[in-house]
Amino acid sequence: MKKKILVIEDNPMVIKSLEFKLNKEGYDVYLTADGREAMDKLKTETFDLVLTDLMLPFVSGSQLIAFIKGEHPQVPIIVLSTATQEDIITDAFTMGVDDFITKPFSPNELALRVKRTLGKIKNSN
Amino acid sequence: MSILPQAFEDWTIILKINFILSVLFVTLALLLLGTVLYMRILKNRSEERKKTLEILLIDFVNNFLFDEEFDKSKNSVNFKNKHLKTPYDSKIAITQILLFNENLKGESSSLIKELFFGLGLYTFLLKDLKGNAWHKKARALFVFNKLSVEVPEPLVVSQLNSKREEARHQAILYFINSSENDPLSFLDKIDTPLTLWQQIGMENAMKAYSGEIPNFSKWLNHKQQSVVIFCIKMIVDHNQFENILSVQKLVNHPNARVRRQAIVSLRKMEIGEVLPVLIKNFPNEGPKIKQEILKNISKLGSEEELKMIAPHIHTKDRVLKIEYLKIARYFNPKLPKVKKTILKIYPPEMNKAKYY
Repeated sequence: MKKKILVIEDNPMVIKSLEFKLNKEGYDVYLTADGREAMDKLKTETFDLVLTDLMLPFVSGSQLIAFIKGEHPQVPIIVLSTATQEDIITDAFTMGVDDFITKPFSPNELALRVKRTLGKIKNSN
Repeated sequence: MSILPQAFEDWTIILKINFILSVLFVTLALLLLGTVLYMRILKNRSEERKKTLEILLIDFVNNFLFDEEFDKSKNSVNFKNKHLKTPYDSKIAITQILLFNENLKGESSSLIKELFFGLGLYTFLLKDLKGNAWHKKARALFVFNKLSVEVPEPLVVSQLNSKREEARHQAILYFINSSENDPLSFLDKIDTPLTLWQQIGMENAMKAYSGEIPNFSKWLNHKQQSVVIFCIKMIVDHNQFENILSVQKLVNHPNARVRRQAIVSLRKMEIGEVLPVLIKNFPNEGPKIKQEILKNISKLGSEEELKMIAPHIHTKDRVLKIEYLKIARYFNPKLPKVKKTILKIYPPEMNKAKYY
């Protein structure tokens, strides 16, 4: 069965590229453009991985991460962000994210990291 | 045969003028309204076209980048012929390609460049660069710079001394970013002053530059004072202590701005050896440079050196006097506070709150 990935990103170009690349890699990709919509989706569906930006409309990336860690602690999170400051990255890891990718990003590298993160979860189970 | 009714001929002249002017204004109002509506329709159409083309482009670029079975060259030609028919279409495509370039890296970057050529956008922009419109030239250079696409050097050199600041700025950034080992060689060709904005752009570009940083002292004798000032700043930023002697000489430069920058930079680099020269020059300098010299003494000098310039501060030089007293108190904390001293020196009406 295909793994389900929830992508939260407000840049239409990036979201389309992520969808395209991850579909090609054989994942089921669900897209949302803001944190509020993502929370609604997470309440009704289960996902194998969440790929999110930090700067989002309505609900910030940090709030979203806290929500996921509270409601679905087993779901791995990868952050895709323009932030390169060490404190932001450290904060994200402290909150429990599994990986942090900075923009501009390499789509192939991203696909590899997604695969690795999903593999880790599978092994730990 | 007149188109106006017979009765019109019988009207008084005032009535006739009134009537003609009314007709004229109504016609003008209708024309204006028609033009506004027409412009709005055109705008809506172009917006619609933009949205449609953006969707097509995003799909096309994603296929180009991520679908290994996608026939890149054939589909690029097809897309270009089918969708990029007007300069407006090409501009939309360039914007999208820049967006992809900004967000993706690695293997995608070279593919984006390939796509840029494949869609004929290089030829399109090269034509703009050869044209007369400055804004098109500036935009073309901006895109070439962002995508790291090389263009014939003479076309860029000609923009270094363009009448338009924007074109000059883009040409400068292009040269810095495209150079592998001599990012500032273009400075030899500069005949126009560098604006502050250009200097900031150059400073940032030099911070991001991955090649070898040039020796900035090469341009300390440049005919443009702005270039000299920029290079003095860069000597400090890049810790080129081997150029201290060259910077020291500039405290006697004929141009006041250059002298001032040299003094500020020597202070930042903590070069106290130059203080005797600064003290000697103090009486002949203007107020701004005098203030900088005072700061240098405060940071690198002694109370004795401060006292040496005291006779050259006029009682009327209020700001300098305050600065002097602050530094004097810094060297000797037992001195009375500046505020009290000033109150004694100046009459009450001059002691406005804003100075304290």
